[in-house]
Amino acid sequence: MHKITSLRVVLSFVVLFSLLGVFCYELFYAKPTELPSALIGEELPAFSLPSLSGSTLRSDDLRGQVSLLNVWASWCAACSIEAPVLMSIHHDYHVPIYGIAYKDTVGDAKHWLAQYGNPFTSIGLDASGDVGIDLGVYGTPETFIVNPQGKIVYRHVGVVTQQVWLEVLLPIVRRYQSGAVT
Amino acid sequence: MKTVVTIPSRGLKLFFICLFILTSLCAVPSLSVAATVEKEQVVYSFTSSQDEERFNALIHEVRCVVCQSQSIADSNAPLANDLRAKIYAMVVDKKSDDVIKAYLVKRYGEFILLRPRVYSVTLALWLFPFACLLVFYFLLRRFYK
Repeated sequence: MHKITSLRVVLSFVVLFSLLGVFCYELFYAKPTELPSALIGEELPAFSLPSLSGSTLRSDDLRGQVSLLNVWASWCAACSIEAPVLMSIHHDYHVPIYGIAYKDTVGDAKHWLAQYGNPFTSIGLDASGDVGIDLGVYGTPETFIVNPQGKIVYRHVGVVTQQVWLEVLLPIVRRYQSGAVT
Repeated sequence: MKTVVTIPSRGLKLFFICLFILTSLCAVPSLSVAATVEKEQVVYSFTSSQDEERFNALIHEVRCVVCQSQSIADSNAPLANDLRAKIYAMVVDKKSDDVIKAYLVKRYGEFILLRPRVYSVTLALWLFPFACLLVFYFLLRRFYK
């Protein structure tokens, strides 16, 4: 009798504290703004955008190698923060970066590139934001890793910092480059 | 020698029950108060009233992902405007509600629907309140026996 009662007391406390633990976690550590992309493992939505150089950027252009697809805008303050990191990815790691200028104009985008540098292999202009919706983008910057088969394998929301690049994105890029995973 | 263990006492028990109710209430998502937004939104015109009804119903069910607790009908965020335009185009294109919702969920996740659909992943979400009520009912019954 004694044993059973104390067991019940202990058990109720365990339940109580695990509940409190869950609530505290949700309250202080959960990131409600981090939405999972349902497009992971899916083919890159087909798009065809006028490129800044005067030709066209198509989703098929990203096939054949591991590449990054960076959604940015000249009006996006955070994008200028990640610009040096993208330059370093381009110069030091030679990973092709394709850009989508989200709700931008040719003039503004070119002005931005002149100021912060151009790490992009090619840039498509998504003036209406239609391709952005097709990609499930809800803010700039966002960066996708696309495998050689043209499938989205990772999505990073927010600024790509040196740390994010080295610890999160680069290992994934290397794994796909080595062919360890497809 | 007989020791009678009487913990938890009646008062303590009541305390726990109150705590349980409170914590369960916390788990219920708070009802969002629809804010009245100064609408400077684009006015969409429809050729059929059926399409118009569908459009209005849909935009009230789709979450503005950048403002989180509002539907895109209540929000003037640029992304909400774009999503309304996209939904308008799909409604006029005679796409069914299910197709439109599936399109959005595929890109933005189940989160974009303010009323999550019932399926394997969201089943726990839907059943949790009822399970809580059931547990609560048995607790109360034991307490008052």
